[in-house]
Amino acid sequence: MKSQLFLATGLSVGCLAFGQSTTPKTAWGDPDLQGVYTTDDLNGVPMVRPAQFGMRRYLTEQEFAERAKQVNTEKSTIDTGIRPTTGFWSLVKDAGVDAAAAPAQWIEYAKHASRLTSLVMDPPDGRIPPLTPEGEKRRAAQPNYYNMRPASWEDLSSYDRCITRGVTGSFFPSIYGNGSEIFQTPGMVAIRYEMIHETRLIPLDGRPHTSAGLRSYMGDPRGHFEGNTLVVETTNFIGGKVDVGGVPYSEDLKLVERFTRVAPDTIDYQVTITDPKTFTAPWTVAFPIRHEPGYQIFEYACHEGNHAMHNRLSAARAEERREAAKETKQ
Amino acid sequence: MRTPLYAAAFTMFAVLAAAAPPDLSGIWQTMSTANWDLQDHPAAAGPFFQLGAVGAIPSGQGVVEGGEIPYKPEALKHKQENFKNRWTLDPEVKCYMGGIPRSNYMPYPFQILQTPRAILMVYEYASSNRAINMEEKPVEASVDTWMGTANGHWDGDALVVDNTGFNDESWFDRAGDFHSDQLHVVERFSLTDADHMNYEATIEDPQVFTRPWKISLTLYRHVEKNAQLTEFKCVPFAEELLYGDVRKKTK
Repeated sequence: MKSQLFLATGLSVGCLAFGQSTTPKTAWGDPDLQGVYTTDDLNGVPMVRPAQFGMRRYLTEQEFAERAKQVNTEKSTIDTGIRPTTGFWSLVKDAGVDAAAAPAQWIEYAKHASRLTSLVMDPPDGRIPPLTPEGEKRRAAQPNYYNMRPASWEDLSSYDRCITRGVTGSFFPSIYGNGSEIFQTPGMVAIRYEMIHETRLIPLDGRPHTSAGLRSYMGDPRGHFEGNTLVVETTNFIGGKVDVGGVPYSEDLKLVERFTRVAPDTIDYQVTITDPKTFTAPWTVAFPIRHEPGYQIFEYACHEGNHAMHNRLSAARAEERREAAKETKQ
Repeated sequence: MRTPLYAAAFTMFAVLAAAAPPDLSGIWQTMSTANWDLQDHPAAAGPFFQLGAVGAIPSGQGVVEGGEIPYKPEALKHKQENFKNRWTLDPEVKCYMGGIPRSNYMPYPFQILQTPRAILMVYEYASSNRAINMEEKPVEASVDTWMGTANGHWDGDALVVDNTGFNDESWFDRAGDFHSDQLHVVERFSLTDADHMNYEATIEDPQVFTRPWKISLTLYRHVEKNAQLTEFKCVPFAEELLYGDVRKKTK
């Protein structure tokens, strides 16, 4: 239960209890952020704040008790090897996903209920700012990936294709693959994500970004420390392929992330998303990540094991053949 | 072309930290053609005449100690079948992870971040990566994977990595050299000077080979100013090959 206490109090008193002098440092004097972390505890926290919470960032005691109850139910259901029917699992059912095939050992879930009302912290109402007309167009052009007949892989998402979920998608809480690991050497930070398998290599030596001629899915990160906080600015993204907040972002996306250790097992994370071609204002997602004893990062050979891709395309072709046969009969 | 700053840092490090293990952190790459074929190989035409010299196969000296890979008779036949069908069967063609040892001598750089708890190796090819456990208590391989489960220790100035828990899917090169899920690889990374490293891998697989055998090659440090790994996510380049048969045909 110690960890729960940290979660509850970490944000407010973290800076006092864990100030400049007590923050662990690396041998060469940088704040030490290293370790294996998980976002599991954020499972069940909505991205966008439900209207009933208004301007409130945290749940009331009563709301928290309700969420803790749901978290416990979900935990014990999964622990007994049964797929739960609440939270995320009730949502995907309606989207046509048969998650019964998901083996219980691969499902991740919150071990400690979070008090956050939403992942979006700013604007203060917890809502993603309105889209620009271009952003709206891009959002609307996305197919319903769960319920379609793909002509080819190009109709499917970068996630379906096991290419990448991008910087935010690799890190934001999901039903599996929530692990991340931070490594530090003099002048470098590496952040490794289990999701699809990604590593971001972040130079701290003040070198300039690569030119606009070199873009990538994970972008070009540059880092520096502000006090005990690691600040990472990432640009040079490939636009139009990967989404954040449900919209494919543009090539002008800029992410500014902040990592601050607030307790021995907890790091506060913030990311400010700026993309004037997509969102009418910057917005910030913030949540703590936690070291969970025994939590391990496994190899996610997503593309190597992507039988779903061939199956979906082959099923689509089979449906077309069946329809064609019907037409010939008539 | 070594940067003077680096040379100075290396000398200082060598003098001051004789007891500490050497620091392998940095960006490394082979100059060998081992990824084409671990054994001696002459130049050859590539599979697509349209690509001319661009698609041709460079010749190269082998990296296998003693020259021969000690296949069991049945396994040798399997390797020869692999070779014949290499343009469709090689996991690299499909953008699958390189496995170990192959990832270390593919024609892409990889970056090492060395920490006392674990050593991270990040490969540009297919965003693959592995963390080598350096704690006393070894990590046990609980599932078979492409990149294996790695436990490392220092043997004098050499980083020795013991790898188990492999699946049977990766190859050693584009020539069809292969292994089973009984693969056991012991790697040895040792700096020969600031910017060069000797890389050895002893390969053991009783299902495929009659005895353990060893490869040995040099890794070169990238010393360019602002050198960094760039991204090579190759899935989109392999999808037509993998799924073209179930793509909707346009009339």
